[in-house]
Parts: sequence; C-alpha cells; structure tokens
Amino acid sequence: MTPVVELDRVGHRFAAKGGAGTTAVADLDLAVRRGEFTTLLGPSGCGKTTTLRMIAGFLRPTSGRILLEGADATRTPPEKRNIGMVFQSYALFPHMTLLDNVGYGLRARKVPAAEARERAGQALELVGLSHAAGRKPAELSGGQQQRVALARAVAIRPSVLLLDEPLSNLDARLRVQMRRELLQVQRETGLTAILVTHDQDEALELSDTMVILNGGRLEQQGAPRDVFPRPASRFVAEFLGYDNFPELPGRGPATIRPEHVRLLPAGEREDGGDTGLDGTVAAVTYQGAGCLVEAGIDGAEGPGSAVRCLHPADDLRPGDRVRIVLPARHLVELPAGEQR
Amino acid sequence: MIAMIRTRPLLSLLAAAAFTLMLGPVVILTGVAFTAGETLAFPPEGLSLRWFSAALDYPPFIDAFGTSLLVAAVSTVLALALGVPATLALNRGRVPGRKAVEGLFFAPVIVPELVLSLALFQQVMVGMRVTALGALVVGHTVLLLPYTVRVVGASLALADPRLEEAARGLGSGPVRTFFTVTLPVMAPGIVSATILAFITSLNNVPLSLLLTGPGVATLPVEMLNYVQSSFDPVVAAVSVLLLALSVAVAFATERVAGFTKVFGR
Repeated sequence: MTPVVELDRVGHRFAAKGGAGTTAVADLDLAVRRGEFTTLLGPSGCGKTTTLRMIAGFLRPTSGRILLEGADATRTPPEKRNIGMVFQSYALFPHMTLLDNVGYGLRARKVPAAEARERAGQALELVGLSHAAGRKPAELSGGQQQRVALARAVAIRPSVLLLDEPLSNLDARLRVQMRRELLQVQRETGLTAILVTHDQDEALELSDTMVILNGGRLEQQGAPRDVFPRPASRFVAEFLGYDNFPELPGRGPATIRPEHVRLLPAGEREDGGDTGLDGTVAAVTYQGAGCLVEAGIDGAEGPGSAVRCLHPADDLRPGDRVRIVLPARHLVELPAGEQR
Repeated sequence: MIAMIRTRPLLSLLAAAAFTLMLGPVVILTGVAFTAGETLAFPPEGLSLRWFSAALDYPPFIDAFGTSLLVAAVSTVLALALGVPATLALNRGRVPGRKAVEGLFFAPVIVPELVLSLALFQQVMVGMRVTALGALVVGHTVLLLPYTVRVVGASLALADPRLEEAARGLGSGPVRTFFTVTLPVMAPGIVSATILAFITSLNNVPLSLLLTGPGVATLPVEMLNYVQSSFDPVVAAVSVLLLALSVAVAFATERVAGFTKVFGR
C-alpha cells in the first residue's frame, strides 16, 4: 500500500546572512501509512516543526522530495495538498462563528452551502461543541478553541491531519484529557495523523509510530513498545527519561532503569545471561517503599562508574559490598563514542 | 466618586485640574459662540444663533470647508491606499531593512510640519507649478501615512500570523485568503485609521498654512486669517461646528463599525 506521506531524503537549510546557514533537517526518510498515528518527537530545535511545515507546504525543502498519496508534492502549494493542520496557537478566524470556522475549508472547496453547513455541524458534534456553533472563538476557553481547531481540520476529510504541538498551550490536566479526545477523534475518523511534540508521554500514549529527531536527523523510529524498552542511543534514552548510564567494564556504555537493577549480597551469583558486577554502596536515599541506592562499580572511574538502583529493602549502608545485577532483558547496551 | 475624593484627595484634585484645563476653554468657546452680543466675551451676553448664521453666510468659510473636506477625504484614501499595502508587507512579508523602512514611514511625525509645508510650497507649488489643492493633498497624504501604517499595522501585529497559513492549509489560495481572512482581521484597524486620519487632516494648521492659493485654503487656515483681521464671535461659532463634526465622525464610525463588534466580544 502506498504511504499517505513519504519523505525522500528531505532536508532544509535556513539561509543566513553571509554565512553557511543552519541545517534544520537533513536527509530525512519517512513513510506514514494510512490510518496510522505518527509522532515527531524531540527537544526544541530538533527539526520536528520544520518537518511538519514542509509536509504542510508552508516551507519548501531545500533538498529531497515529499510525496503525498504517492504523487510528488514537493512544489505543491499548501491549498492544493488536502491537509488538515492544527496549530499550537489554534489560529481560529476571530471574525467568524465556530460553524463558519469549521466550514471554511468546505467553502474553499466549493462544497454546496447546505452540505457544507451540515458537515461543519457534524464535525462540531464530533468534538462536542454543537451547542456553541453560533459563538465567536474569543468566547471560548483554550480547550474549546483547540477542539474547534481540530473539528475545522477534520471537516475537510484531509488525507493527513497535521498537529503542531496542539496541546502544549493547555494546562496539565486538560492536556491529558485532550490527548484521549484527540486519539478518539483520530480513531473515529480513521484519519492518518502526524503530531509534533516534545512531550514523551504524549508520544508514548498516542503513537503507532514514534519518530525521534535530534539536530535535524532521525535518531530512532518505531512503535512505542519497541522504542521505549530499547533506546538505540544515549540521546534517545535520556529523552525517554533514562538516567542510569553505567559503563560496563570491557563492554562499553549501557543504560537501565533504576527499578530494574537488583542488588545481591556480595558473593552471591546472578542467573546465567544476566550481567553481574562487584561493587560498593556509595549512597543510600530512603524513599519509604524502598531505597535509592547508588553503587560504585569496582575498578571503574568517572561518570559511568556508578549504578543507581531502586532497592526494595532498607538493609544497605554506604561501604557495604554488593553484587550488582543487570538483568539481560532490561539492560540496553548503547553505541560507544557518543559524547554528551 | 465621593469615596475616591475622600481616599485619594490629591489625585482627585489633579484629575479635576486636568479636566478643567482641557475642557474649560472648549466650554468657554462654546458659550461664546452662542452669544447675542458683538464681542468674544464670556459669559455670553444673551443667547442667540446669530453668529452661526453669520458663519454660514460667509462664503470664504463655506469654500474653505469644502476644500478641507475634499483634502481630508482624498488624502485619507491615498494614505490608506499606500499605507495598508506597506504595513502588510512590513508585518507579513520579508522586507529587507524592515526597521529602516518603518522608520521612514514614521518620519513625517518627527519633521516639523511647518518645515514640510515650506518645502512643499517651494518645491512642489513654486518649483513644479502644482496647484495649492494638489500640494495640500500631497502634504496631507504624507502627514497621514504614519497613522495608517501604524494603526493598521497594530491590528495586524495583534492577530495570529498563523491565520493566513490556516486558511491556505484549508484550501484557500492567496487571493481568497486575503479577502476572507487578512482583510477582515485588518478591518478594525482600517476603520480606526480612517477616523484618525480624517480628523487629523481636518484639524491641521501648520502643514496647510503656506499651501494656499487664490480661493483655496483649508478651514482652520481660513479661520486663522479671519481672526487676524476681525474679532467677533463668528470664529467661535465655526470652531464649535468643526468640533461637533469631529466628534460626530468619531462617534458614528465607532457605532457603525466598532472594534468590539468586529471581534464579537
């Protein structure tokens, strides 16, 4: 099946006065399948918004091609791309009622007035705002405005729904609720969606595929279930909240979540296949249900010489000798040479 | 109000003084205009409309008023025609040296109007043999440009720059986007700029002072000429009429197309 959106070695360089300019996106390949929810995830400046704006047609790639529904759309203006875009700032037309806002794309498509009104009404109903159809955007709360923006994008039955950090202007509680609603609308309409976000929880919860970008380059992509337990680089691991980066003697850098590390009394052996290291407890922080124990690896020095462990009992003190066990199914070995 | 006087006596006093200073002369002038007597005296000696009828019977005032309206209308339209595209380019386009260009549009506010008037008189009227009316229109257009650029620009700057992108994404081409989104968003700014520009032109003296010709002068300049030779309440009556017109224009436009209404708040 042809991907709905395909990026073929797409790059974008912003020109700078007299200088070389900056590379926002470099050689990005991406294929978004029909009905899938894809997130572009990364810290600010990673190129995720630039990528989305290129897919929408607001920015032209400086290299590579963009294919929409299999056809080269690299030079197609945004109004001819059949995209439904939801902006971080909502960008509702302030002089129009909600119904007119939602019907705008239909009128632009020369859909007959009666049908346009009906479809706009349906889209408003989908986001639970049919009762406010005659109001102006300024009368609504942020969450309601976001719903209208979503309805407006959905109403045109776009080939792809583009969402540019749509939830980041909402407060934390509303954000979680809107996440569910967003997913529900996407499932109900069966639309293909691409969401830009810097929020890993949002990406984990919404994505069929998450695409992690770093400095304009693809860092890792895959289903959350595959990416989260197996980060491919220290960058991805840190971005997903890993904060334990021991250097395994003779094997190189690795990462593991503190709750997966086990500490055995010195002298005991781990199961075959798991990694065991001798070490000494350096610090113990009591946390009620257990303790956060920092253990130094024997013979190691520098930043990777300690492992942090969520230990279920309060039976260790600094100076105690322990066997640090890193279970094979949770230990992620990282490529060496990545300086952070 | 009373509570205000009690809690902030000094502030209340200052506010009262400011209002008296600003409105006092206007009140006195209005009183004088309705006098039945022969001189510019306050309090008026009896009430009458005789000076209003005298003002309306004085042909130079009527001609000058016609000139003023014509100049105000034409230069307001020209200042909008030049200022709106300029401010669109400055706020939405990529203009090299944006700051410098903006500064240029703001320059007429800084250059003393009398200097501009002299320059126009010398270079345009004498040098290029343009009529006084033509020079007035040119001068006033320049005078009003900063207002149209700034006021319309302010309404654009307040609006979300993503609005146009949203419209494009929904399937509107550039032209349709301009007429269905950009123009309505600018509308309140255009309305305010029109009022402001029209009234500014109507009341201007320094710029119009030297730009006169046989039978051509704006109303405020004609009034100034009149006061120099005679000292009767006709001028007060004309002033009141001019004041009434300015206030009426402002009120009517705000009513017909107030900003509040456009944004549905």
